[in-house]
Amino acid sequence: MAHRVIGKPIGRLDGIEKVSGAARYSGDVTLPGLVWGKALRSPLPHARILRIDVSRAMAVPGVLAVLTAKDLPSILVGRRMFDMPLLARDRVRFIGERIAVVAALDPDIAEEALALIDVEYEDLPAVFDPVEAIKDGAPILHENPGAYEGAPAERPHPNVQSVLRFTLGDVEAGFREADRIFEHTFSTQLAHQGYLEPHAGVVAIDEEGRVQVWASNKMPFRLKELLSHALQVPPAKIRVNLTPIGGDFGGKGSLMDLPLAYHLARVTGRPVKMVMRYTEELMAGNPRHPSVITLRTGVSKGGRIVARRVKALFNSGAYAAFKPAPSVNLGGASMGAGVYRIPHLSIESFCVYTNNIPCGHARSPGEPQMVFAGESHMDMIARELSLDPAEFRRRNLLRDGDLLANGHHLEHVRASDTLEAALKASHWSEPKPGPWIGRGAAMTHRHIGVGFTNARVRLETDGKVTVLMALPDTGTGAHLVLRQVVAEVLGLPIGLVEIEVATTDDFATDSGVGGSRVTHTGGRAAYHAAEKLKEQIQAEAAKLGTPASSLAAIARAAAKEGRTLEASHFYDAKAHGAVTSFTAQVAEVSVDPQTGQVTVRHFTTAHDVGTIINPIGHQGQIEGGLIQGLGFALMEELRTEDGRISTLNLGDVKLPTIQDIPPLTTVLLEDPVGPGPFNAKAIGEGSISAVAPAIANAVADACGVRILDLPITAEKVYFALRAKAEPQAPPATERS
Amino acid sequence: MTRVVRLTVNGTSHDVEVPTYRTLLDCLRYDLGLTGSKEGCGVGVCGSCTVLLDGKMISSCIALAVFADGREVTTVEGLAEDERLHPVQQAFMDAGGFQCGICTPGQVVSAKALLDANANPSDEEIREWMLGNLCRCTGYYKIVESIRAAAQRSRA
Repeated sequence: MAHRVIGKPIGRLDGIEKVSGAARYSGDVTLPGLVWGKALRSPLPHARILRIDVSRAMAVPGVLAVLTAKDLPSILVGRRMFDMPLLARDRVRFIGERIAVVAALDPDIAEEALALIDVEYEDLPAVFDPVEAIKDGAPILHENPGAYEGAPAERPHPNVQSVLRFTLGDVEAGFREADRIFEHTFSTQLAHQGYLEPHAGVVAIDEEGRVQVWASNKMPFRLKELLSHALQVPPAKIRVNLTPIGGDFGGKGSLMDLPLAYHLARVTGRPVKMVMRYTEELMAGNPRHPSVITLRTGVSKGGRIVARRVKALFNSGAYAAFKPAPSVNLGGASMGAGVYRIPHLSIESFCVYTNNIPCGHARSPGEPQMVFAGESHMDMIARELSLDPAEFRRRNLLRDGDLLANGHHLEHVRASDTLEAALKASHWSEPKPGPWIGRGAAMTHRHIGVGFTNARVRLETDGKVTVLMALPDTGTGAHLVLRQVVAEVLGLPIGLVEIEVATTDDFATDSGVGGSRVTHTGGRAAYHAAEKLKEQIQAEAAKLGTPASSLAAIARAAAKEGRTLEASHFYDAKAHGAVTSFTAQVAEVSVDPQTGQVTVRHFTTAHDVGTIINPIGHQGQIEGGLIQGLGFALMEELRTEDGRISTLNLGDVKLPTIQDIPPLTTVLLEDPVGPGPFNAKAIGEGSISAVAPAIANAVADACGVRILDLPITAEKVYFALRAKAEPQAPPATERS
Repeated sequence: MTRVVRLTVNGTSHDVEVPTYRTLLDCLRYDLGLTGSKEGCGVGVCGSCTVLLDGKMISSCIALAVFADGREVTTVEGLAEDERLHPVQQAFMDAGGFQCGICTPGQVVSAKALLDANANPSDEEIREWMLGNLCRCTGYYKIVESIRAAAQRSRA
């Protein structure tokens, strides 16, 4: 079926406020009488708080309140496991943990007051490494984690937050069938999501005693529930007002400072704004988990994988509070299986408490870590077997009907097509253009997000159609996608369909943004609501008897009788685990033998996608995710020394700049089989995870050096090259 | 300590009494209510706070308001003329040169300054000029495309 609006490269019509500076983000919200909140943070990774004296801070002119844990109810917060106090009570567990909070007339006064709060500590033994943390005798972070609300039952060590397992077949029996067995261990770094808008929120208690919230949070209804719990205020007395969000990438789903802003608002009687400085984001946001991952794979003589065991340790930091999944673990651990049929599989993922910054969700949670390990491992095995890495993959790719460890039998598997498309586009079989140049391939696949969304579609008396929904705009262009869906169903030009952003008062619930679900859940809710509205319009037109009546005339005729043509739909998507989207990527890199610097000369990304609703937005998701993957591969890192992050300036974190982007070839294999509207699939998390292993594999191809720990910096490659050239030399351990 | 500074912002003159430690960014946002310019990194690295001071790009998060006394400031709010978007703003919309929009005020101000200085920049020149404006959403490809398109439109 030919579409009129779906699939058209419509630009960001929804962005006029963003390009003109008129868009009001949470940090831009202001209210009469508004004051500022700022938090004092722990300078120590693990310590007992002996004494806090706020008297000097209270005396600063312009300071309205100073609160510590003793002024607040003893409540623990979290997204799934509730283990984090609002303010540290008697004990701090990471550098950056909030100890006190100040309200003042302006942010500078608030910061001045923070410096005058006197805290006396007593150091406690600390542990920073997840491998050390689960040994006997390691310092214990939480005395009884099993007692926390939402805590998983299994706890092999008190410092284990959660264990997640995926199993197929009998892995021990599988290894007995193997002709050769390979084992490698990889590690990945602590990395911030990198959204440029730090967490921001405004909380006001209105004349009716309702708590009004504006926050950079992508799940307004879950936020309302979590706030209700944290503040001990009934949900009906809380309204979350949606604002645009300045980038999310998984990081903006928690309460962050909002309960503190509420308590300051309650005590001062004024609206309170809290905006984290970027240094605070880097010190106490909820970044991507660092990992240590060991894969052991048994292979048959014919190059077929017969068994695999994967053990992942995720360094979760001092609290589990930022992880939203019921497992309190990272679903990306399942990607230990890669895109391969593995009859005997065992994956174990441990999230471990340490005295570091608590980690949370970041775009494709757990997957960039696991796919780096898994796809590097695949290449290392291929080289040991003297097989082309592409050929080794071909022999093991998933096919229709294969069973995944999550229990789903796959359908519409295009793993092979996607790989071949990437190989062809990247000239894989052609000679490389020179020395010190290499190519590397990597693959992944990802499910399509699920959740539930409400939409209400209304025909206005001017003939326009309004779509009311409560999905925040995190930047992906989702609102434009919903407009396109409704315009297509109703046969209208896009300009006649508008979005009205709801609040949490307008609907009962919504799962919000996350997990690449919005095109699917929001799109289907809007689609079905528009279908219902279309029926109403047709019935109304039939009553009027003039088939050519304009929409405006139809709406006005109904309005005359006191009726509004309006339809709602609540769409609750069940798991669609049988259909995934495959990604195959090829990096071509050069390595400078003098410095170890890696340059990505060209990048190819191939995706098995559903119906594309907006090609500009779709490509934007691919490109944005890919460059985040490139940063993760080569440069980004929050470096820590004994729990202290030493890169507290965004410049030191090294996000990719406009000069770091390689020439790019994108190949899209469109296959309209997704569960989304018009058979769309998801794309938001498809391009990030395979970038690092593609680059690592290309580096190995270029210079024979295998980097097992991200990021692949010039110094690591340089020292590895030197060690290779002078095998007698002592291992290079010096660091600048 | 406070001081009265005279700023001409987007063609309008303001006398503002500010503490001497007030940054130009905070002065624009909180004293003048012009919240288009954003604070990202807060240390002059990300470019979200970019404004033009007498036509030259600066990071307003690390410039003091008193430093701008008597000078002309152009912010994102001052790019459109007579309600018509600047070609750079229009091109960012048409080509998908932004997603979340937080870095966009700085991006479009820098891109306008580029086209003022060089009406026909090559891709290399675009990348060189725009180096100080980070974007985490787009991967930059569509920013280059947007500026290329804006240059074409401006010349047409």
